[in-house]
Amino acid sequence: MLELNNVEATYSDVILALKGVSITVEQGQCVALLGANGAGKSTTLKSISGTIHSEDGAVTGGSVTLDGQPITNMETSEVVRCGLIHVMEGRRVLRHMTVEQNLVVGGHMVRNGNEMQKRLEHVYSLMPRLKDLSERTAGFLSGGEQQLLLIGRAVMAAPKLIIIDEPSLGLAPLMIKDVFDVLQRLKDEGTTFLLVEQNSAAAFGIADYAYVMENGRIVLDGPADKMAQNEDVKEFYLGITSEGDRKSYRDVKHYRRRKRWLG
Amino acid sequence: MDPSGVFSVSYRQDRKLVRTKWQALFLLGFMALLYLAPFYASPRIVAIGNIMLISAVVAVGLQICTGYAGQINLGQAAFMGVGAYTAGLLAQKYQMSFLLTIPLSGLSAAAFGFLFGLTAARIKGFYLALTTIAAQFIFHFAVLNLPSSWMGGSNGVTVPAATLFGLKISSTNGLFYLNLVFATIMIAGAFGIVRSRFGRAFVAVRDDDVAAGIMGINVARTKATAFLIGAFYAGVGGALWAYMIRFVGVDQFTLFNSIFFIAMIIVGGMGSITGALIGVFIIRMIQEVIATVGPNIAEAVPFLGGDIVFASMNMFLGGVIAMFMILEPRGLMHRWNIIKSSYRIWPFPY
Repeated sequence: MLELNNVEATYSDVILALKGVSITVEQGQCVALLGANGAGKSTTLKSISGTIHSEDGAVTGGSVTLDGQPITNMETSEVVRCGLIHVMEGRRVLRHMTVEQNLVVGGHMVRNGNEMQKRLEHVYSLMPRLKDLSERTAGFLSGGEQQLLLIGRAVMAAPKLIIIDEPSLGLAPLMIKDVFDVLQRLKDEGTTFLLVEQNSAAAFGIADYAYVMENGRIVLDGPADKMAQNEDVKEFYLGITSEGDRKSYRDVKHYRRRKRWLG
Repeated sequence: MDPSGVFSVSYRQDRKLVRTKWQALFLLGFMALLYLAPFYASPRIVAIGNIMLISAVVAVGLQICTGYAGQINLGQAAFMGVGAYTAGLLAQKYQMSFLLTIPLSGLSAAAFGFLFGLTAARIKGFYLALTTIAAQFIFHFAVLNLPSSWMGGSNGVTVPAATLFGLKISSTNGLFYLNLVFATIMIAGAFGIVRSRFGRAFVAVRDDDVAAGIMGINVARTKATAFLIGAFYAGVGGALWAYMIRFVGVDQFTLFNSIFFIAMIIVGGMGSITGALIGVFIIRMIQEVIATVGPNIAEAVPFLGGDIVFASMNMFLGGVIAMFMILEPRGLMHRWNIIKSSYRIWPFPY
């Protein structure tokens, strides 16, 4: 469905952020993209959706295709029309609009009032909490509620593929569970996902396949269940040693740095 | 406004403009008062009403462009000037009916505004403000420096009276109805625009243009459309102005006027059509009070001299606008919304 072939992306014509990234996402799959801060995960998503242009960036090599159709360096709004929605990090809700108005804007391409109503009801059935908050101004919602609203807004466009960036960032554990429950329900309905997440345990809980990025490259990939058992992944992203102990973050960080230098 | 505990339960219900019987009655009563104004109000009040109606059309256009879509526009008076000149020239040289010249004036101003909308696709904020100021200078330069046979140069253009079925619309009352009918159509249209998917796209682009893009909104086209619509309104307002004053001159559409239009939407409240109307009413009322009181003061205190009194009056107007910015920066509509919310949840404090 989505194919990135040897994609290179640069910012301001000089900063090479992606160095030949190749990713495949099949229909109905949830693919997780893991990696440390600065690895290039968010840039990968921005390169796919075209939002990289708003940060003076561009895809300078390789290709991105959705259902065989090239979408490399396409305008963001055109990419959405092709059926791909990007849920960005940073909870970019429309602060002055109510929850319902945010959802209606999410269905911008829907011209039929009945269809709009149907989609709203679908979102409310997935996330009843949004129904209760429908008349609340979005800027006054909690972080978790804003994240749910962003997912709901994406669902309003009825996309073929949702690419979602750090949905658990800054959320309490219970809220993370709620967000991932919604993603799981959407996956069960057949929605395809490309998920960028620092919370590797949560990501492996929903993903079918996973890629690991470092320094703008894919360094490891495989089925999610196997990746979750990989010693390096366990150590670097789940913080568990081969003996099953939890390692301190300080040790992991030190070891990773040493390994990267030696590598 | 629905009372506490009553919520919209469908998308259609949520989109309704008039939600209660009282709102409908109030609207009908207000419209009746307006349409009957020439029968009970003095000619001076009707003349002030004319200026307010024209200003309302222009300010509502600016509200759509700046208040809703977030595109700073300091060239609204220039767009109004383009409309006024178009109407004046078409009426004078081609004897066209006002039913044709007014929409054509809107279209010519919209085309001029669209050019600046294209620049808004790439720049924003302070830079966009500077670009729209350029609209003022381009307009002035074109009128004053192109051959005077084209647009009258510094002599301006004399505009024949609007006529309908052979009847001249030149009296204050006749012009009031002309302005009122067009203002009603344009303002009703504005309410329709801001409630449509275009209106929602404008607000989305204003609040976060990147987020708007990822919802499928074409940001560049939306910004250009906002300018186009805003300038169309200014053009129609300019044409109405031309038929009212019966003379169009370049000094009627200065940067100073553009700033007054901005002041109107700030005082009324950004992002609200009703706010723009309230802002027009307040600023024009203050201007009229100053124009009435100023000569009386100058006469009563002759040693001050007329110049000092008139300068003080303008300072007073500036002071009032500054006070609004300090005390009510989000405009009167924001205060009204707070009052409405308090009423809705009464007797609970929050």
